[in-house]
Amino acid sequence: MDTKEGIDLKGLNQRVSAARAAVEARGETFYPGPSRIHLASFPPKERWDDWVELDSRSWPKRVEKRSMLVPTTCFNCESACGLLAYVDRETLEIRKFEGNPEHPGSRGRNCAKGPATLNQVTDPDRILHPLKRVGPRGGGKWEPVAWDQALDDIARRIRRAIQEGRPNEVMYHVGRPGEDGYTERVLAAWGVDGHNSHTNVCSSGARAGYHFWMGLDRPSPDHAHAEVILLVSSHLESGHYFNPHAQRVIEGKHRGAKLIVLDTRLSNTATHADYWLSPRPGSEAAILLSFARYLIEHRAYDREFVRRWWNWREYMQEVHPDRPPSFEDFEHVLASLYAEYTFDFAAGEAGVDAAMLAEVAEVIARSGSRLSTHTWRSAAAGNLGGWQVARTLFLLNALTGAVATEGGTYPNAWNKFVPRPIYVPPHPKSWNELTWPIEYPLALNELSFLLPQFLKDGRGKLAVYFTRVYNPVWTNPDGFSWIEVLTNENYVGLHVALTPIWSETSFFADYILPMGLGSERHDLHSYEQYDGQWIGFRQPVLRAARERLGTHVGDSREVNPGEVWEENEFWIELSWRVDPDGSLGIRRYFESRERPGEKLGVEEYYRYIFENSVPGLVEQAQAEGLTPLEFMRRYGAFEVRKQVGALHEDVVPEAEREDLAVDELGRAYSRSPAPANPNLVPIPPLDPDHSGRRRIGVEVDGEIRRGFPTLSGRLEFYSRVLAEWGWKEFAIPTYIRSHVHPSNLGEDEMVLLSTFRLPVQIHTRGGNSKWLDEIAHTNPLWIHPVDARRMGVETGGLLRVETEIGHFVVKAWVTEGIRPGVVACSHHMGRWKLTDQGQRQIMATVSLDHQGEQWGLQRKQGVRPFPSIDRDTLRIWWTDVGVHQNLTFPVHPDPISGQHCWHQAVRVRRAAAGDRPGDIAVDTAKAREVYRKWLGLTRPADRHSPDSTRRPYWLLRPLRPSRDAYRLEPSGAPGGAR
Amino acid sequence: MELFRALAALAEPPAPEHARLVELLDLPGAAPPDGVDYSEIFLFQLYPYASVYLGEEGKLGGEARDLVAGFWRALHREPPAEPDHLAALLGLYADLGEREQAERDEARRQLWRNSRQALLWEHLLTWLAPYLDKLEQIGSSFYRAWGRLLAASLLAEAENLGPPARVPLQIRRISRFPDIEVDGLAAFLDGVLAPRRSGMILVRADLRRAADGIDAALRIGERRSALETLLAQDPAATFRWLEAEAHEAASRHRAWRPRLGLVADFWVGQAEAAAAELARSSPGATVSG
Repeated sequence: MDTKEGIDLKGLNQRVSAARAAVEARGETFYPGPSRIHLASFPPKERWDDWVELDSRSWPKRVEKRSMLVPTTCFNCESACGLLAYVDRETLEIRKFEGNPEHPGSRGRNCAKGPATLNQVTDPDRILHPLKRVGPRGGGKWEPVAWDQALDDIARRIRRAIQEGRPNEVMYHVGRPGEDGYTERVLAAWGVDGHNSHTNVCSSGARAGYHFWMGLDRPSPDHAHAEVILLVSSHLESGHYFNPHAQRVIEGKHRGAKLIVLDTRLSNTATHADYWLSPRPGSEAAILLSFARYLIEHRAYDREFVRRWWNWREYMQEVHPDRPPSFEDFEHVLASLYAEYTFDFAAGEAGVDAAMLAEVAEVIARSGSRLSTHTWRSAAAGNLGGWQVARTLFLLNALTGAVATEGGTYPNAWNKFVPRPIYVPPHPKSWNELTWPIEYPLALNELSFLLPQFLKDGRGKLAVYFTRVYNPVWTNPDGFSWIEVLTNENYVGLHVALTPIWSETSFFADYILPMGLGSERHDLHSYEQYDGQWIGFRQPVLRAARERLGTHVGDSREVNPGEVWEENEFWIELSWRVDPDGSLGIRRYFESRERPGEKLGVEEYYRYIFENSVPGLVEQAQAEGLTPLEFMRRYGAFEVRKQVGALHEDVVPEAEREDLAVDELGRAYSRSPAPANPNLVPIPPLDPDHSGRRRIGVEVDGEIRRGFPTLSGRLEFYSRVLAEWGWKEFAIPTYIRSHVHPSNLGEDEMVLLSTFRLPVQIHTRGGNSKWLDEIAHTNPLWIHPVDARRMGVETGGLLRVETEIGHFVVKAWVTEGIRPGVVACSHHMGRWKLTDQGQRQIMATVSLDHQGEQWGLQRKQGVRPFPSIDRDTLRIWWTDVGVHQNLTFPVHPDPISGQHCWHQAVRVRRAAAGDRPGDIAVDTAKAREVYRKWLGLTRPADRHSPDSTRRPYWLLRPLRPSRDAYRLEPSGAPGGAR
Repeated sequence: MELFRALAALAEPPAPEHARLVELLDLPGAAPPDGVDYSEIFLFQLYPYASVYLGEEGKLGGEARDLVAGFWRALHREPPAEPDHLAALLGLYADLGEREQAERDEARRQLWRNSRQALLWEHLLTWLAPYLDKLEQIGSSFYRAWGRLLAASLLAEAENLGPPARVPLQIRRISRFPDIEVDGLAAFLDGVLAPRRSGMILVRADLRRAADGIDAALRIGERRSALETLLAQDPAATFRWLEAEAHEAASRHRAWRPRLGLVADFWVGQAEAAAAELARSSPGATVSG
């Protein structure tokens, strides 16, 4: 190691710095990637037009392959991670997908499902042309149909329903939307209350718990900066925003955060935990309240935060009017409220060690305001009263003051940006009783999974029913009841399946219309994944690639495979056909502003948004010499804001305080107009005061601050809504014993957990990816060795699992990763088809038999190799695809949140002679009895509404009708059109 | 500090951007590197990882890499997949320097400076001295020029920051060179090829030189097998060659003493001990005393 004299190190330093600054000012990358210097392992973005790699298959020859790198957004789960499509410059085919380093949420990292989009694009079984059924619905015969013909037929039926005052007969049923509000606005433009989301089989339990606290229905945990991360569920491998959250959980751990996981199963997440608690299913809220009790008793909570931000004064006024409303008095009451939740009590409920609970409580107490927490499905989606799991979990944040703090948990609206589009149609005037029934006034989302029962009740019927990338026959409980109504044209006049792939539901459609995958469609997303706001742009990558080469593309069908379309253009076209002359007032929401009288195009739609509604985007694009649309097409994402912080603490400016009035609860109102806000993130509407002043915030210690979008303006420890709408006993965070609580189980019953995912699958959406299917294609029953010994079964042995309405037959997997007395089966598997049509790599061929209400499903043929355009299909080595257990589950709607409570009380025994893996038997008459039993738990609006309305106007609703539609008629019926 | 990033980038596989960096750094007589040059140096001869030179086993990973990863964690940073890669370490060094420059609070600025000094003396200079020396011997003209510039930059930093108060943790412990009679041939081969234990870096090119020097055939393959074959053909000559190599290494290490002090002492000590042991255990050696 020699020194070299005379080197001007300082000069060299300056020269490199100046060069870097100049290059980066042009939006280019100075240092090459991949590189370890900045952990940048991505191609520099200025080379995205012509990226050169060596072809690995040509080794040892050095053969260059040239690609265009085009960003888009993954369409598999709801995380909206960024992808980079590598488009071959010679063939204009997509060669692979990798992560998009410019995406603020996923930061270039993806789970297996992202790159596997390539399999979905090239899947030999995907649907490439519109199909129309021939013969009876479900008969399995199809003929090609022209887009024009299908559109005209569908449009005619919708137009007639609208003209004849039957708007509620048009319904759009969606799985994970993968976009923010586009289709809701289509339905609003049509004037129909026809939005039906899957959310009540998914997350509405958790949403309800969060909503009753803060007026917003999602948490945004800052895991990366937390001291303590508390997860109720398996977030690392399969949680809601799985990849963006998982990478931040691990970052937090690397920084020294303690990870606490409540999960009955030894999930992958539990294996990473510092503390793994395996509770008896349904006891989670008891555990969380024991932690809360510890914080309260030891004064280990943030008293100032509680004093300033809880609606404790309102609680004292309403519940303890005889006591002085002092904070000290409230603290005294608070301590007594939770005194019963000792560690011993929680341990008794949960079957975990009390000393362990005490240790974990101490860890939480030390977290200060850096406690990030999350629950989404899991316990909140499994149990009667599961919504209180989210409410009691957030109680810990509310106690520690870890709300919108660094390392804490934010309300989602703080960390989400939904730009205002070119048109925002008004609220529809109708109320749809099929989705928002009177029995569930507080349900966070549509009672989608009860649709078959409601149709059988005669509550309505459907003229046109869209299932959009959604598979209710397979996903929802009680799938045979779905088949019963889908095959009955008196219930469903026309079923249109908008789907890229075959599904158990599309078999029962009249039209199957092929919709684009993640690289074949436009959408716009934003999700709360850290303390920042971003938008992600999905785009048909071949369209963008061709446009880079100077080719104009008029319609995404020109570049997509076969006749695959994208939904944006589909809805615009369909809306024009519903209202061809504009007389229904619909067409105007789908007309170009740049070319009046002509159809709105996706270019103009997104150009408007990016040029007018995304703060900072115009400037950023200009700096790189691009238009905002070009910028988004080039980078696929834009970070609008970071380190948003505690918005509730923002002081309301003087300019907004005209004729200020503050009421007895501290709510502040003024006559100043609301400032313009391009962010349309869903926030509940807050009523004006009696003089018509607008709510602007809440007074805290003499200062007017923005507060929370709740009725009180504060965090609602006490929910006036719950109390006034008939559920006074649950108005504060508390513990509701589950329907699978030991006291509700028969002596020979066990609890079945059915909600967990396999890390590489995502319901049925990933079912056409060969890589994912090879990794995960079956779902054996997790059973503890103690239970297995009792039943005399070993791994691979057959078990029969009996539910309230039938049974399924499944292979055992004996493992200590589950508690004794509990069994678990992932819901991702058991795909089936009736004929050769379907996803041959993951669907078994079955026979579907029924006599009256007795249904049976038996496997005729497992998966096997088959010849196709993809040689890998000859290499399929698996035959077993698991069991479709959801068919055997009756509906369990929680009477408050409306969430389907997935956990099942089951009897598990050795399979009977003749039982074969995957066999199903169900009695749908019993399913109907169970539906009626759970319906009996409700407290309907016509008997409990405090203001003769159908539902609290404040509650969020994906598609909100006009206020008039909320009125109850004197008879108890909703006021809007039926 | 940008200079260190630029030098780090050049330790990565060649990319078109390298041409710009080469021009900016005014590397004398150098052309943009090509893939063959890069592969020869970084993939086949001089692996650019601290753990290879500071680890007891002379291989990637192990305690030496853990120490580097611990350093990243102590800074509240997630260690990258290869925390001890030269490019990652130089990138980190540049970042720490910039943090120091940006810090307004004097006490905190001193903390950043201390961190930078620790990184320099613990995880860079402790192995880059023999590494860059070897590069000077076997590298292409471009990488030799790059190495000289890197050496000059690091030594300037060492002068600027001053020596550490204590012997760096990575080299605080003396490693024993194996005794072939006691430890056996396998352990002996491991010890010779582990720079930390032998005090010398023996790359493939060196073994080729050894084969030429003792007129033996060189087995193509991994270094361990090649060295074993040399020993099998002519053990006495191979021992003599290794002993001479260790003396030569010790001599080169001594030259850094004025500027690297304790680090040089460590490497000199290791090489001298290896030379002594090789002399003692050589098949032709006379047992004294």
